[in-house]
Amino acid sequence: MLKLFKLLGNKKLFILLVGLILFIALMGFTLTNRTSLSWPEKFVRDTVGFVQGVFYKPASYMAGLFEDIGNLNNLYEENQELKLTAAQYLLQQANYNKLVQANKRYKEDLKFTQQQLAQNQFDLRIANVTSVDTDADTGTIVIDLGQNDGVRKDMPVISTEGMVGIISETSPFHSTVKLLTTLDPLDSNSKAIAATVVGKENESFGMIESYDKATGMLTMTQIKENDPLKKGDEIVSSGSGGLFPSGMIIGKVVSRQVGDFGLTNTATIQPAADFKDWKEVFVVYTKETQE
Amino acid sequence: MVRRIVLLLLLFLVFICESTIVPWLIPDVLHTRLIPHLAYILILFVAVYYHRHTALVLGLVFGLLHDVVFYGDMIGAYSFSMGLSAYVLGLLFQSPRAPYPLMMTVVLIGSLLLDNMLYGLYLVFGLTREPYSWALGHYMFPNLLLHFIFALLVFVPVRRQLEKVAKLRKRNAEDE
Repeated sequence: MLKLFKLLGNKKLFILLVGLILFIALMGFTLTNRTSLSWPEKFVRDTVGFVQGVFYKPASYMAGLFEDIGNLNNLYEENQELKLTAAQYLLQQANYNKLVQANKRYKEDLKFTQQQLAQNQFDLRIANVTSVDTDADTGTIVIDLGQNDGVRKDMPVISTEGMVGIISETSPFHSTVKLLTTLDPLDSNSKAIAATVVGKENESFGMIESYDKATGMLTMTQIKENDPLKKGDEIVSSGSGGLFPSGMIIGKVVSRQVGDFGLTNTATIQPAADFKDWKEVFVVYTKETQE
Repeated sequence: MVRRIVLLLLLFLVFICESTIVPWLIPDVLHTRLIPHLAYILILFVAVYYHRHTALVLGLVFGLLHDVVFYGDMIGAYSFSMGLSAYVLGLLFQSPRAPYPLMMTVVLIGSLLLDNMLYGLYLVFGLTREPYSWALGHYMFPNLLLHFIFALLVFVPVRRQLEKVAKLRKRNAEDE
């Protein structure tokens, strides 16, 4: 017993233990769902963010230059393809406008509330990436839009390919984007995405819940057995649940299998975004919902 | 004194570069497998050639910086692991005359120690579910190699600068 007291009398050990307890308390506290950050955090994030932005941009230009030189050969074919898609879009545009008008009229007829009308409206704003944390378990990117630009926590972030993550923390000029690669059903902070299949929106439903780091695939759970979802289908967010607007591209179905308990099915999904070589991303500004 | 401030600024510069320029240099195949902690490697040099207390403070500060800037899940993981591992390695290996192979061994141990501590913390707080064997092969060993190569490149200039600073401190201590 005397030995134990002697051991605790050791000043270094004492400091170490106190430090350990303080750090565990800090980690535990910051792990919870915080609504906003304290001012020292905001100050540090914005100062470092500005410096990082200065470095990231030229680096991405240089990398982009080499990439462009590499792509020069494919340019002609790509151009042809793009012209084709542009023409198709033009054709569909007329049809789309007609449908939108009809839809609006029906909603008015059915007396939709303001909130219901606003649910799937959103604006996109382009944001530059200022730095990347490639940590396998807590990977994030920092973008140069913040509270002052109206960014709020839990807004979805997309790239030109598809959805990449959600805003996890904001400071006045910068925000951190938590990537989809950190999706985890056991983590209370990570939010599952309600998803559906393009073209079968009314019959298909599931939740994108987790990301498998080893295979690089997303897992969609809670698919009903009679669901028409099959391999090769394109998965988008369904908009039910209210957190994410509908129609954001998530990925393609690779396979479908019976789930853990045999009652529902799960599907493996290849994410549309590739989570690397970040340049610009788009923040989806959803309408603020009353809580 | 001026030299110390310049060195500190250079350390900050390396910290900035590891999350802005370095990701562009990593080939696509190795993308999530290399997680550069270059500032940490420099802090290990400080621990061996200068003083472990300085390394402890630097580790805590730069770890905290990383935690706050890339705040996705929690704050404190990097700060704790960088500070503690730099201090422990300084306690074991601190010697102004440490030869090349010894310093490289410290870098190897340090790189593994940091990744293991981070993995352990994430496991405790439920942020990772991947098995240890996967983490070891997927990013800890590639990281080891990256940090080793970086340490090889910066060894000579960093050691020289740190020795100069250490000598200056000794002289100041004698004067007083």
